[in-house]
Amino acid sequence: MAPRHLIIGGGTAGMNAIRTIREEETERSAITLVSAEKPYSRMVLPYYLDRSIAESHVFTATARVLRDWNVTTHLGKRATALDTNANVCTLDDGTRVEYDDCLIATGSSAVRAPVPGADGPGVHSFWTLDQARGVLAQIQPGSHVVMIGAGFIAFTILNSILSLGAKLTIVEVAPRILPRMIDDTGAGLVQSWLEQHGVAVRTGAKLTQIDEVKNRRRLKMAAGGDLVADVVIMATGIRTNLEWLKTSGVKINQGIVVDERLRSSAPNVYAAGDVAEGRDLITQANAVHAIEPTAQEHGRVAGANMAGKDVRYRGSLIINIVEVCHLDVASFGAWDDAKAETASGVKADRPAYRRLLWRGDRLIGAIILGPSSDIWTTNDVGMLKGLVQSGVALGSWKAHLKKNPFDIKLAFIATKTTGSLLPETILGRPSKAPGETPVAV
Amino acid sequence: MRVLRIHPEKCTGCLRCELACSYMQTGEYQPAKSVIRVSPFEGHTSYAPYTCTQCAEGWCMTACPVGAITISAVGAKEVQDDRCVGCKLCAIACPFGTMFYDPATRKAFKCNLCGGAPACAEACPTAAITYEDVETADWLGDFARERTARVLAEAR
Repeated sequence: MAPRHLIIGGGTAGMNAIRTIREEETERSAITLVSAEKPYSRMVLPYYLDRSIAESHVFTATARVLRDWNVTTHLGKRATALDTNANVCTLDDGTRVEYDDCLIATGSSAVRAPVPGADGPGVHSFWTLDQARGVLAQIQPGSHVVMIGAGFIAFTILNSILSLGAKLTIVEVAPRILPRMIDDTGAGLVQSWLEQHGVAVRTGAKLTQIDEVKNRRRLKMAAGGDLVADVVIMATGIRTNLEWLKTSGVKINQGIVVDERLRSSAPNVYAAGDVAEGRDLITQANAVHAIEPTAQEHGRVAGANMAGKDVRYRGSLIINIVEVCHLDVASFGAWDDAKAETASGVKADRPAYRRLLWRGDRLIGAIILGPSSDIWTTNDVGMLKGLVQSGVALGSWKAHLKKNPFDIKLAFIATKTTGSLLPETILGRPSKAPGETPVAV
Repeated sequence: MRVLRIHPEKCTGCLRCELACSYMQTGEYQPAKSVIRVSPFEGHTSYAPYTCTQCAEGWCMTACPVGAITISAVGAKEVQDDRCVGCKLCAIACPFGTMFYDPATRKAFKCNLCGGAPACAEACPTAAITYEDVETADWLGDFARERTARVLAEAR
């Protein structure tokens, strides 16, 4: 009998796994997808929010494509239990799906600040397509939008909110914006930039309550200075969807602990994306990296192994990039390692900022900030990723970069980083283009 | 497949490749839109062009959340404008730093080998850029190592 693969979760990790199984398998397998939502890309929801793309653009696989790939679907249903002894997954409508191996890729959900009124009318999360529709329906030109939380997710929709003609106030409980993405210097530059572009920013500000007043929201702040908003967006973090696995026996730490083949403690159960705790490329320790590129790579590696290949994953690299009002902000790897040797440079007038972090003569992390119209910013973003990813020995270039932290390109080329990166592939073979996935015959 | 082979020792730094590239890609002579970039070495005593290697992994392509980067008939990783939303995941995923972003169109762009007739190679007066059926490689590493000795000495 053909192997039966079960994919639980139709997000980035799950869809990459399905495509890779179809690319890699030598005999045709049966694939079943269980997903609470139709497969779409969360990454592009900000562009749906600012109406630069139609809703249809967000979907990563239509019903037709899933049929072409010969995937049996249970859409609109959630997995509620996994029996790793009987190899059966139970869904919320009682359906039981048997599998030979399965991938857990159930992702994360948005979490709201635990304050009274957080679930009231006019208060939104921006995480799922449904929630994006809700926010889009509420924002009018001139609306006052208050965003609670100044993290990566909040910043991905900042431009969209402004382009809809809304007024924006950002409230962050931490002392600086983007607290888990950039350092104090970077955050200070971004905050000034935002204020120059008409965005109000309050850091170190704690929300205590939200009240409905005449169809608007009054936000009570611990230190006073209450705010009145038409729309409140709670971008206060995410939580991985793991509760349903409590009785499964799969080993869970911060996430489902996986080995270098993305296998959990149950050998025929894989995990990928936000729910997986896999190897960090820089620290070599296990960590949850709830970011899109990790979900993609996890999904592909898990899919290849499920299809019978033996693919080991090198580990994932934290990479984040966001553009706010034409300013690019990005960070890589161990950008916040307090024990690392560092160098930094600021050009306050552009503004531009580079911070480089070393262990020995290898770059282990970086922060980069600069105008998106500045070509060097975009190119340096990639080369910094290359230097961190390859861990190339910088030798005497380290001293040069410490003095000249903006001279990334010269160091990148002269250390032959290109040569060390070229042979690297995630699956041990050249990647296939989207659309090259074999379809059923 | 045929790739852009760079012969850095032949580059005079005339920047015709950048002009030709931008003209072919955008219809205008605007080097800021060129996806091949000439770098100076050793205080502008020598130059070399740098562009996408069309690497095997295709980091830009596998990173794209909406499948907007595909492989063209000549084997180039190519951005599909109507699919690209401008999220920049490709720019942060490409470890070679050869993705570009146009704030005006809000799209990513990159070398697509001009559909098989690369304008940069055609425009280069010294054949420092050739379009050949060879394995892609690190064309600049050895050259750059040699032509940066003085810069490095200054850092010490």
